[in-house]
Amino acid sequence: MTELPVKLLSVGFLAGIMGGLLGIGGGIILVPAMISWFAVKQHNAHAISLAVIIPTGIIGGLTYGSHGNIDLTVTLYLIIGSVLGAILGARLATKLPATHLKKIFGIMLLVVGLRMVIG
Amino acid sequence: MILMTILTGLLAGALSGLLGIGGGAVLVPMMVLVLGISQHSAQGISLLVIVPTALTGVWHFHKQHLIDYRMAAYLAAGAAIGILISANFVQFIPGVILKKFFGVFVLFIGARMIFSKTQKE
Repeated sequence: MTELPVKLLSVGFLAGIMGGLLGIGGGIILVPAMISWFAVKQHNAHAISLAVIIPTGIIGGLTYGSHGNIDLTVTLYLIIGSVLGAILGARLATKLPATHLKKIFGIMLLVVGLRMVIG
Repeated sequence: MILMTILTGLLAGALSGLLGIGGGAVLVPMMVLVLGISQHSAQGISLLVIVPTALTGVWHFHKQHLIDYRMAAYLAAGAAIGILISANFVQFIPGVILKKFFGVFVLFIGARMIFSKTQKE
């Protein structure tokens, strides 16, 4: 593949902007962009996205921290929980049918989103 | 509070693994609504919390040779510049507005999850 580095840098830039604004990794932009614009397979796109999230998350987190918006104790406990949760989730994912789960949690997210917009 | 925080992380980690969505989309609302953390702090903490989870994922995919590091490097370079700008800029946005903005993002993710056809493969 000979994708233009400029295109890749631009997509990364956009993901970084969104990541900083929302406190997310940016996979939501990276994965679809890689699949549709750079002909990367879903599986590879997911893997590359995770690799990109590591430096982005660290830089973003430190920037938030430099403005006094990081509580390290809470961060540590959440990391412990989420790493265990990720292992658990990966195990469960192979056993549970994701389709219904997605619908149920999609509705839950709509409720949560509305609460954040209105509340 | 400690137990509650660990449980929140556990649930967020499990859900993002199960649903195939990024940890931040679940983590931030839970921190704000369950733990009562401010929107700005929740977003900053979220960025750090997703790193170790991403690391374990990368290790797994690295062994399967699924990562194109040249591509990742270009994307990461762009993302690093982008997040340096926006993570500084966002500090000047009032928390109330940021929370609504995040809510719109959550609504989008929720809608996408409900209406997405059984994709993959």
